[in-house]
Amino acid sequence: MTNIVIEPIHHEHPPTTWRTYFTFSTDHKVIGIQYLVTAFVFLMLGGIFAMIMRGELITPESDLVDRNVYNALFTMHGTIMLFGWTFPALAGLANYLVPLMIGARDMAFPRLNAAAFWMVPVVGILLMGSFLLPGGPAQAGWWSYPPVSLQNPSHELISGQSVWLVAVAISGVSSIMGAVNFVTTIIRMRAPGMTPFKTPVFVWAVFSAQIIQLFGLPALTAGAVMLLLDLTAGTAFFDPAKGGNPIFYQHFFWFYSHPAVYVIALPVFGIFSELLPVYARKPLFGYRIVAVSSLMISALSALVWVHHMFASGTPGWMRMFFMATTMCVAVPTGIKVFAWVATVWGGKLRLDTPMLFALSGVVMFVFAGITGIMLGAVPIDIHVNNTYFVVGHFHYILYGTVTMGIYAAIYHWFPKMTGRMYSEGLGKLHFVLAFIGTNLNFLPMHPLGLQGMLRRVSSYAPEYAFWNVIASLGGFLLGMSTLPFILNIVGSWVQGNKAPANPWRAIGLEWLVSSPPPVENFDEIPIVISEPYGYGKSEPLTSNLG
Amino acid sequence: MDTSLNPPHTTEATHDEAGNSMFGFIVFLISESVIFLSFFAGYIGYKLMTPNWLPPGVEGLEVRDPAINTVILVSSSFVIYIAERYLHSKNLWGFRFFLLATILMGTYFLYGQAVEWQSLKFGFTSGVFGGTFYLLTGFHGLHVFTGVFLQTTMLLRSFIPGNYDSGEFGVEATGLFWHFVDVIWIILFVLIYVWQ
Amino acid sequence: MKLWNILLLIAVALGLTAVSLWMGQQAYSWFPPQASAESKLIDGLFSFLTVLGTFIFLGVTGTLLYSVLFQQAAKYDMSDGPPIEGNITLEVVWTVIPILLVVWIATYSYNVYQQMAITGPMEMSHMHSMASAAPLDAEDAMTNPIVLETSPEPAEKIEVFAKQWSWVFRYPENITSSELHLPNNRRIRLLMQSADVIHGFYIPAFRLKQDIIPQQPINFEFTPIRLGTYRLTDSQYSGTYFATMSANVVVQDPEDYQKWLVDAASRKPTVASNQAAAEYFRESKKPIKTSWPTVVPVEAPLVNYHSEQDKR
Repeated sequence: MTNIVIEPIHHEHPPTTWRTYFTFSTDHKVIGIQYLVTAFVFLMLGGIFAMIMRGELITPESDLVDRNVYNALFTMHGTIMLFGWTFPALAGLANYLVPLMIGARDMAFPRLNAAAFWMVPVVGILLMGSFLLPGGPAQAGWWSYPPVSLQNPSHELISGQSVWLVAVAISGVSSIMGAVNFVTTIIRMRAPGMTPFKTPVFVWAVFSAQIIQLFGLPALTAGAVMLLLDLTAGTAFFDPAKGGNPIFYQHFFWFYSHPAVYVIALPVFGIFSELLPVYARKPLFGYRIVAVSSLMISALSALVWVHHMFASGTPGWMRMFFMATTMCVAVPTGIKVFAWVATVWGGKLRLDTPMLFALSGVVMFVFAGITGIMLGAVPIDIHVNNTYFVVGHFHYILYGTVTMGIYAAIYHWFPKMTGRMYSEGLGKLHFVLAFIGTNLNFLPMHPLGLQGMLRRVSSYAPEYAFWNVIASLGGFLLGMSTLPFILNIVGSWVQGNKAPANPWRAIGLEWLVSSPPPVENFDEIPIVISEPYGYGKSEPLTSNLG
Repeated sequence: MDTSLNPPHTTEATHDEAGNSMFGFIVFLISESVIFLSFFAGYIGYKLMTPNWLPPGVEGLEVRDPAINTVILVSSSFVIYIAERYLHSKNLWGFRFFLLATILMGTYFLYGQAVEWQSLKFGFTSGVFGGTFYLLTGFHGLHVFTGVFLQTTMLLRSFIPGNYDSGEFGVEATGLFWHFVDVIWIILFVLIYVWQ
Repeated sequence: MKLWNILLLIAVALGLTAVSLWMGQQAYSWFPPQASAESKLIDGLFSFLTVLGTFIFLGVTGTLLYSVLFQQAAKYDMSDGPPIEGNITLEVVWTVIPILLVVWIATYSYNVYQQMAITGPMEMSHMHSMASAAPLDAEDAMTNPIVLETSPEPAEKIEVFAKQWSWVFRYPENITSSELHLPNNRRIRLLMQSADVIHGFYIPAFRLKQDIIPQQPINFEFTPIRLGTYRLTDSQYSGTYFATMSANVVVQDPEDYQKWLVDAASRKPTVASNQAAAEYFRESKKPIKTSWPTVVPVEAPLVNYHSEQDKR
């Protein structure tokens, strides 16, 4: 078959303008940015829903919006944040970075890549459009548990719930297309010399995450199809009145949706692993074990899903088994955290904005990991399941770790992607507001949950008021913290200082090309000769590019 | 599609594109099989745990005709394999003959499935049994239909001159898909018809 | 490592331990009052995890904070840090210790769960016929009920009916109530059923929760140990008026409890106030409908006993 041919490529390409980003471009760099910007729009939409929710919850009574409006808000907040913000944003980062980091010119299947992206706006339009339906959008929570999700009070065939299911199915197809692309690219298109243990951790992380997508998503699709059939065709899969079993839905749902959180978390762990060495000027401590731990997390994540069902219709032996497996995930995750600390320790730190976001992401992740272990203990979960304790835990992950991590990545690679430097002052302002806002918003949720305040409630007992007020103020602050970010990104992209190829003096293939990179990425495909993160060692990364 | 903005991909460093395509296709098939495995798991769970499993008036499923269909479908995997061998040795008419035979066998399977569905005394909404039966056989049937469609496309394209200059990926993928469909059916047949 | 460093490390570890233990004590104050025997076990487990968690969190955060404060690059220093890529001993230690901790935590939690003996759903392999069921029963053989002043066989058996969006409790002799009254220091067994969707039976003061699946009646056992009035709330999202589905739980001395039962039996059933029904009624009276269609709440239940207080 054909062999790898190393020769310089010279093509004429028209310059990329803003219009390019609205086309069906097959350039992974364009697609990556399309994903990121689209995802950010969903972050804003989901965030507005959150602001309204926090507005409702600043007082104990249901006095801001109708109860079913509130229910629609929390349902769509969760759905949009997961399927519109986190998954696409991380797909965008992976899309942009992976080919560059492995020394390839593009992804394995560029047109499939573009097709996968363009499904995301469709999903968003469906979800937002469902607000206009006579019965309103889905109101059964982002889990859509039957029998509530089957009740369909509007009795319309095209209900918010059925549209929700179709949107989630389309999102799944898009993700699987992406997963096929990433796995093929990473396995088959690494530059010569880039053996597995010369591959950056971010690439390992994306690979591990996409493996989960491949094996887990189809289970969600299966459950969603069966639920949609129950809803629209009168089948009996999950409807207890017809002999169905709603607990089966929970199993289908969580079999994917638990590993899904690692699809989200693993690339962010990869981001931390990439950034900390740069800003501490030290190699990643324990690089090989950190790389392999991503795969371990991937594998273990498939065995823990029932911990979302400890209070459900599960028998005792099942609760105990999954408690044991859930606890085990702490081990590879702990390895990563300790490795990050050891990377930073004794280094020469520079506290630029990306580093601030990365460090705070690690700290908040440790906190969330501890509350996660608490949740994994069945007796404790029986008390705090479905309370704000859980909400606090996963927001420390989804905001405190994942979103902060994505911000860190955006700031870090912004010069590479746009050829401009962002404003460090605005970046630091964003960080301070976000850090304070996150902690004010989500820390109070823990005592609230321990006191027994439930999640998904549009009203609550007066004794919970104090912490709710603080949480709401934190939420508003968090919302406002995005303003300096938007100002920074837009302003800098338009007229920031020009960025050199390697503003951070970082070691990695993406830093060997111009900012932004040429359309074909590399004039010559690099030949990799050393391990990544060689700070303090002065050995060249490649034999032909420096 | 604005092709002027898309970098042309040459044979340089995109490495072995056909190899990439086959790799990606196999990865996709593994993912697709998980949907079936999920439905299978659901079927097994329901069968083991639902009291009054069969709808009222239904004693069980007839096995003889589905068994005949099974034999035809599984044999067609060998037939398409023979077709691929003919193509590989550049014997286009041999290829087309055996591909057409595969198409006919696949179509017969679909016909047999439809006949069976017509004869059944329970429907999609007849409890958990009806739901899972039609879901599994229907979803599989959809894949059989897709397979036959792909084979027909391959058959038609075999008449385009120079179609195989850059390799036979399309045919190989179609063959692999067909084998996949057959393996899924074997598991399905054992689960639904044999284990009653 | 130098002796000074080792001593310093030991001092820091001792300091962290002290703070962690203190935090573990504080953890008890974050909970509602301990109103069931099971709650003591859970609070103890949580306190233990708080101690461990505080130690780890302060250790990691403290180390990072130290680096941030004292290990920044000098202003014009463009050189790299030391090229330290790993340390096998350290990596082994920080893999083995978490494994041991995880085993310890899992074992402790397992023991607590066994002692709680709350029952819940049985092995799913042979479910009883759904519509009319003998309730799924306990794994009594495996469990060791807590030995407080309780008898092994539950003293009180009460039925719980959950529906959108009210709770009804039925006592022996067909006495119904919209409040859950319980005798103190007696083991209780509830037989819980849902009429429509999944609801969650949750009393924060008892630290106990169990989802109720329609067509799957479930047994649930526990022992109240403290007089007082507590809150039962629906914990599994159940639709439009989910947040309103709550009821009072009143734990009384056994004699007062008996008196209450007698008194309740003597009352004719009347309509209990139900917040969901009241809100729905108010909504439906509005001339212009501003909200989306909702499942209609079941009628406010007819019960022997209901408190006159307005419930939230």
